[in-house]
Amino acid sequence: MSTKAIESLSEDTVRRIAEERDEPEWLLETRLDALEALETAELPDVIQTPGRRWTDLEALDFEALVDPLNQSDATERTAGDDEVVVAPFTEAFDEHGDTLEEHFGSVLDPEHNYLTALSVALFTTGTFVYVPEGVDVEDVKVRAEMNSRSLFSQTLVVAEESSSVTILESIASGEAGDVEGDRYFSNLVEVVGGENADVQFGSLQNLDDDTYTYSLKRGVTDTYATIDWIESNFGSKLTRSDVETELNGDGSESQIVGTFFGSEDQHFDVNARVWHQAEHTTADLVTRGVLDDVARSVYEGVQDVGEDAWSTSSYQRENTLMLSDDAEADASPKLIIHNHDTEASHSATVGQVDAEDLFYLESRSIDSKTARNMLVEGFFVPVLEEIAVDEFREDVEDLVVERLQ
Amino acid sequence: MSSQDHLKETDTEARFEFKKEEKSAFRSEKGLTEETIRVISEDKDEPEWMLERRLRALEQFKAMPMPTDWPEAPDLSEVDIDQIVPYIRPDIDVRGGVDDWTDLPEEIKDTFDKLGIPEAEKNALSGVGAQYESEIVYQNMQERWEEKGVVFCDMDKAVQEHEELVKEYFMTKAVPPSDNKFAALHGAIWSGGSFVYVPEDTTVEMPIQAYFRMNSEGMGQFEHTLIIAEEGSEVHYIEGCSAPKYSAFNLHSGGVEVFVGEDAHVQYSTVQNWSKNTYNLNTKRAIAEKGGRMEWISGSMGSKATMLYPSTILKGRGASDNHITIAFAGEGQDIDTGAKVYHNAPETKSTIESKSISKDGGRTNYRGLVHIADGASDSSTAVECDALMFDNESTSDTMPYMEINESKVDVAHEATVGKIGDEDIFYLQSRGLDDDDAKQMIVSGFIEPITEELPIEYAVELNRLVELEMEGSLG
Repeated sequence: MSTKAIESLSEDTVRRIAEERDEPEWLLETRLDALEALETAELPDVIQTPGRRWTDLEALDFEALVDPLNQSDATERTAGDDEVVVAPFTEAFDEHGDTLEEHFGSVLDPEHNYLTALSVALFTTGTFVYVPEGVDVEDVKVRAEMNSRSLFSQTLVVAEESSSVTILESIASGEAGDVEGDRYFSNLVEVVGGENADVQFGSLQNLDDDTYTYSLKRGVTDTYATIDWIESNFGSKLTRSDVETELNGDGSESQIVGTFFGSEDQHFDVNARVWHQAEHTTADLVTRGVLDDVARSVYEGVQDVGEDAWSTSSYQRENTLMLSDDAEADASPKLIIHNHDTEASHSATVGQVDAEDLFYLESRSIDSKTARNMLVEGFFVPVLEEIAVDEFREDVEDLVVERLQ
Repeated sequence: MSSQDHLKETDTEARFEFKKEEKSAFRSEKGLTEETIRVISEDKDEPEWMLERRLRALEQFKAMPMPTDWPEAPDLSEVDIDQIVPYIRPDIDVRGGVDDWTDLPEEIKDTFDKLGIPEAEKNALSGVGAQYESEIVYQNMQERWEEKGVVFCDMDKAVQEHEELVKEYFMTKAVPPSDNKFAALHGAIWSGGSFVYVPEDTTVEMPIQAYFRMNSEGMGQFEHTLIIAEEGSEVHYIEGCSAPKYSAFNLHSGGVEVFVGEDAHVQYSTVQNWSKNTYNLNTKRAIAEKGGRMEWISGSMGSKATMLYPSTILKGRGASDNHITIAFAGEGQDIDTGAKVYHNAPETKSTIESKSISKDGGRTNYRGLVHIADGASDSSTAVECDALMFDNESTSDTMPYMEINESKVDVAHEATVGKIGDEDIFYLQSRGLDDDDAKQMIVSGFIEPITEELPIEYAVELNRLVELEMEGSLG
């Protein structure tokens, strides 16, 4: 690949970002390494079939999209509890510098691909969440607004032994000042799930339709840890979202719940991946999406069971509902199994609103649009039910209803 | 059941694992050059247009990359075309195949006797073609089909005798050489294979079979099969393949093109048992017109690596496709197989059923693509993949791809992977079966939905091959 060199990027840019944030030396080094990696790193893998490339990331004009020194956001963080740390990195260096240094980049290699390297080199916002041993918090919230041409965000969650935390993150477009045209949002999230820890991470993306979004979230579990993800995508012109869990501890679990709703010419490239690398691990991947107008979705789900992952249970379901004849849904649920002591299954469906259901509702004198909307809302119920946090579920429901207006 | 006794009594292993001394009338140089192709074409006395097509395919072959950028693609690094002998004409008097087994040289006749082909011909087939190395050596069809205008002949002969049809259909519509590197290779050095033509409204009641045997070390077999089934006709074509094992690699790169006319029905069954040094890289494609029905039944048991994805283009309204595939990978085998279906018309339907078994470090992969084009409304597709694994050295992958451009469709994909149930084995053992027999029985049950689609002779054959594979490791 001819990687896109960004003219305006230099070592000086990165040093300025780090200096303004008064960052420790190790982070500057990490950023500079990431910058250097841009020269050889590749764009994220995209599925290709004969004659077709499912998502064209090469078409993105990073030169125009990336404006590293004018990043701006308004982010509101609430911890809901004194025992837990929820802070921007800049406020955490003094007290939690060692923890940050230990875990930053440990789950997700900054040089994983071109877009992660770009993000690590340039991030100016994000959140550090630290949950000490045995602490149980339910109300960590991070509400962010993006106010600039480009924004790079980096989040690190460290959940110590036997802790439990629910984190809800939302991102939307705010006042962009005089920025017009296309924008770029990059969101990297790392979750370290300590022994017997329980992390729920919900993310709701509703950026405006001038924005291109790249999001990669990855968690690693220790023994008996649980990491559950809820990934909801409603906004953006083009979204590439990857949610991944490495089940490294015996008896650990992960659930990845995904929803998306595409209208007009939105393009969602949604990916859920899990690697079973220890004994008695369980994974459940559930994604439901709706497509209207000329929207397009691309889905890849990967269940990878390693040679030593004895007694694995792994399930995957993906369902897409098409509301328009001009929409397109591509899907590829994959199983990579290296241990026979596995119970694994996956399924995927694509279809439209059931004509009989529609007829039934209409025969009950419900007009056809209302009937259709009821059925679409109903379609999301199985995934909504997986969302334990009421507030988050209601937000998703509201966005579905809003889209159906 | 007595008609199967001859199959039961044969020692299956011995039936495939024997070598004949190479006796060839013509043997090309190793490797692939324009010169080689000119020599092959000349040896076959081909018309100019065929030579031109071969040479064009050679250019495409040179320009195309190996399929190594596929996710988890089988290792083809050993496949060096320059080490392959692409063309060996066996020492026979009659080109295009004799119609009496006794007219064949003793060692060739003996080969097919051991494989049970003449026996099967008597019992269950409308016609038989047998290819030895690069050429068809035996070809015969019952007279009653000939009278109805059914053609079943050697592909090389078809180029001479049915030139117009071949010129129109040969690698022009279904499998152009540009499709992939090995299709291009095939287009350049194809030799042998069958040509089948079934006239309108004709039903060929008993299957036609072609059997392909590679005997020499380091050779490549590149037979081409072209089936044209006219409107309202029906035919079942069966293909069998085998070779003895050598230390050097062999390459099989066949090309199959099937044209299913309006309301016609073609079934194409393959039981592949290539030796475990053979790379089996085929391109098989069917085009189904309005109301036409295509069925692919594939059993992939042999080969070192197989990359095979029979595909169907559902071109006419109401056309349908049915894929049934079974893959068995033992030690050192990588069976990467699946299906491709393009729904290009409304009310088209496809079902894909895949069963795979991996053990002793073998790898199976279901790799499939279902594409529903915009406008192919009221189409449906159902894909079901089940995999059975024996140990943690083996690998079982499932990689389906679905591209849906139409909303009025019903698309479903399902897959499961699991091990042999301990409880099932325990149950059978408590009924007095030993561990091996219990496992064998479970595997037979697992693939039964597929074997029951095959004519009884082939179902028996497939079961026997599975048993043989199982014996190797469980003893």
